[in-house]
Amino acid sequence: MPEKNFSPQESLQLIQSMIAKTRRDMGDNSIQFLLWGWVTFACCSGQFILKKFFHFDQHYVVWMMVIPATLASIYIGKKQNSKRKITTYIGDSMKYLWMGMGICYFILSMILTRIGWDKNIFPFFIMLYGLGTFISGKFLQFKPLVAGGLMAWALAIAATFFEYDYQMLFGAAAILVSYIIPAYLLRNKNSTASDV
Amino acid sequence: MFEELDPILHSQLRLAVISLLISVKEAEFTFIKEKTNSTAGNLSVQINKLKAAGYIQVIKQFNNNYPQTICKITKEGVEAFELYVKALQSYMNPEGQ
Repeated sequence: MPEKNFSPQESLQLIQSMIAKTRRDMGDNSIQFLLWGWVTFACCSGQFILKKFFHFDQHYVVWMMVIPATLASIYIGKKQNSKRKITTYIGDSMKYLWMGMGICYFILSMILTRIGWDKNIFPFFIMLYGLGTFISGKFLQFKPLVAGGLMAWALAIAATFFEYDYQMLFGAAAILVSYIIPAYLLRNKNSTASDV
Repeated sequence: MFEELDPILHSQLRLAVISLLISVKEAEFTFIKEKTNSTAGNLSVQINKLKAAGYIQVIKQFNNNYPQTICKITKEGVEAFELYVKALQSYMNPEGQ
């Protein structure tokens, strides 16, 4: 970049172009959304199939998939961090939001272990999915995530009108609209932006 | 009006560096070099000037055994940038004063 006298208009253009360049490098979180989206989608639908069609007593065993998924998520996160050349406030906020969400899911699971899993618990999980995606969508200024969060909240309310078995399907639907579809759209948006 | 513009910031490369740092928490030297299309030598000189003015903080560390230089805007840097933008706006819209 050569040094020369430049006008206030050029100064403003330079400021705008530099800010736009950092916006494109905000980091691609879609891989984490896709990982968790597909894992939880498989768990919800897998649990429904095991319970409804195979009448398997320990139908909840599918949720053990969360353990390798957590390890994979930590590994991917560390790998992304070592490659990342910038740290943003949005990136940090997203990290702490999802860390907190993970802790909430864990605590909710602990509570349900104490009071029993056969309660109508899926609306609570769906409500939390909605909260995470709604806030993430607002941070990233990405409307499909915001819409996904709103739809997840609507599904949380709708699920209360159905029995436990069918609530799993509401959970799967919430994950599809609030994690998986927005994650593919986010990935598409990021790859288009990096091509510019 | 030009005289009111902060001379430290009214330089293309230094302004580019500050504009990059204003929207992030911190950035690596290599990222700034890539985004500003500058040479390492020139960028180092300009970064040192910004550091001397107290506008940025420079942290030298190791990441996976490789040396890494991290730059971070300071509170003084944010204030100076805001004043600079305000001065630019008043220059461009004098009737708005």
